[in-house]
Amino acid sequence: MQILVNGIIDGLALSMFALAFTAVYLPTRVFFIALAGVYSLVPYVAWQLRILGFPWMFAAGTAVATGVLICIACELANHKMLERKRASPGAHLISSLGIFIILVQLVVIIWGNESKTLRTVIQPPLKFGAFNLTQPQLLAAGLSVVVLSTFYLWLRRSNIGLRFYALADNPTQLALYGYNTSHLRVLGFALSGLLSSFSSLVVAYDLGFDPHRGLHALLLALVAMIIGGSHSFWAPLIGGILLGVVRVEAAWYLSARWQDMVTFLLLVVVMLFRPTGLLRKRTTLEAEST
Amino acid sequence: MTYVLHLAIYIAIYSILALSLNLIVGYCGLLTMAHASYFAIGGYTYALLTLTLGWGFLPSTAGAMLVAAILSLALSLPAWRFRGDSFVLISLAIQALVFSILSNWYDAKFPIATWRNLANGPSGIPNIPKPDIIGIRFDTVSSMAILSLALLAICGVTLGLLKISPFGRLLKCMRDDELATRGLGKNVRLTKVYAFGISCSIAALAGVIYSSYTSYIDPSSASLDHSILMVSMVLIGGVGNFRGPIVGAIVLVLMPEILRFGNLPYATAANVRLLVYGVLIALMVHLRPQGLMGEYRFR
Repeated sequence: MQILVNGIIDGLALSMFALAFTAVYLPTRVFFIALAGVYSLVPYVAWQLRILGFPWMFAAGTAVATGVLICIACELANHKMLERKRASPGAHLISSLGIFIILVQLVVIIWGNESKTLRTVIQPPLKFGAFNLTQPQLLAAGLSVVVLSTFYLWLRRSNIGLRFYALADNPTQLALYGYNTSHLRVLGFALSGLLSSFSSLVVAYDLGFDPHRGLHALLLALVAMIIGGSHSFWAPLIGGILLGVVRVEAAWYLSARWQDMVTFLLLVVVMLFRPTGLLRKRTTLEAEST
Repeated sequence: MTYVLHLAIYIAIYSILALSLNLIVGYCGLLTMAHASYFAIGGYTYALLTLTLGWGFLPSTAGAMLVAAILSLALSLPAWRFRGDSFVLISLAIQALVFSILSNWYDAKFPIATWRNLANGPSGIPNIPKPDIIGIRFDTVSSMAILSLALLAICGVTLGLLKISPFGRLLKCMRDDELATRGLGKNVRLTKVYAFGISCSIAALAGVIYSSYTSYIDPSSASLDHSILMVSMVLIGGVGNFRGPIVGAIVLVLMPEILRFGNLPYATAANVRLLVYGVLIALMVHLRPQGLMGEYRFR
């Protein structure tokens, strides 16, 4: 039971990051590797502000705002320009890779390679019936549930959320209806920055952080997205929780060092035998036959 | 002089790698992030064959290239079905798997190359023997430079001949329009298997030169950062021809050496080098998508 709960909490934080990637990937088809750089950078901003004596809320808020602004800048200064040139998805991916390298190296040059922590004291775990939860786990679970529920409610209930959903479904048709898809693209990047910053902060608060963890986290997020099904906003949630549970179980029954091995074997199996993921895209028989 | 020869060896190693990666990126049109894995597989196989079985340089090198060619099926079989982002994901998974195996499959209580300790984990494998070909021992920097440049020339000629052969034309045709190539009755799947096999075995050869030169190999040679460096070389130099990858390798190997003459601290210089790679890649996509010398714009 304890292992299952730990897996679900890890999975929820992973789902937020996977959803951050999906928020850009589905509407724009941009393979946003630079998000890994944002994930690495955000805890350093919070840590620096805490060192300077600012309160927690201000430090976390500024860090999240930094993440959002960097993602918006990536769209305006890079992907939007490439889109105007009708550049290929490969060009978007490569330029995003360049931005990722720049962000991570800036973090290393400014703050160094050492691991850091956002916590200064370790509190004893709290008992909830059959299982124990630490304070960072409670924070991760609470924040993830609030953020994810708000996102899904916004997506399905608000007017702009529905437009965003439509952009992910068929951007050309949405543009033909007269909607401004450029603004919605920027919104996608902003959401991506917001979700990845939240995810990064809760994981950093629990486990600490270093400049190179972003890419690993992004790989896990990609696996979660693929397992869920890379054409739905619900896929990261399902894939993230499933992957979180599988990784914790692998650590328990095998060893923590085989977690990555199990994760990427799972990805290979899913891509080879069920490339559409657990959630298959609903299509008409006519569409499937063409 | 030793310093210049040392640089020549590294330029040769990375030129071989860039040329081999060009076969996949430039001629098959597929972006792979797993090339460092095959480089490491070559280095590790050479180390294990020479240290545990006592094989000589040539049979060990052939063995390393064969193992890499067989393991290239892990990439080429998915390439039958996947292109673009999906193939990048598959290659990232292969990269992570190989890195994970090399880092974690060990138990210090057991000798290397056993079921319990495949590759000595993060400690890596030391004391890898220097090349010894028909009694000639390449144990000095100058002799290693001659050997590595000679192997670069052999790889260059082989890949050059491949490019102008019907097989090279078939690869270009497949890259530009796979469906049309299949329509012409060509076996696209088998072509990909051959291309990946050749490319990965040449990457393994570079790994053999590296591990025999440094007498040491560890899992960092299979890291994703190393793959990114190789991809940067071909993208900055340019893909689809012979000159681009070599220019990319020379530029990216020499860049940190140039930065050495600045007053940067040693620890920072490595990161400034990577920062410059990042800036170059990001700018190149906007200003010169075909790279410095390339003839194919990566799709």
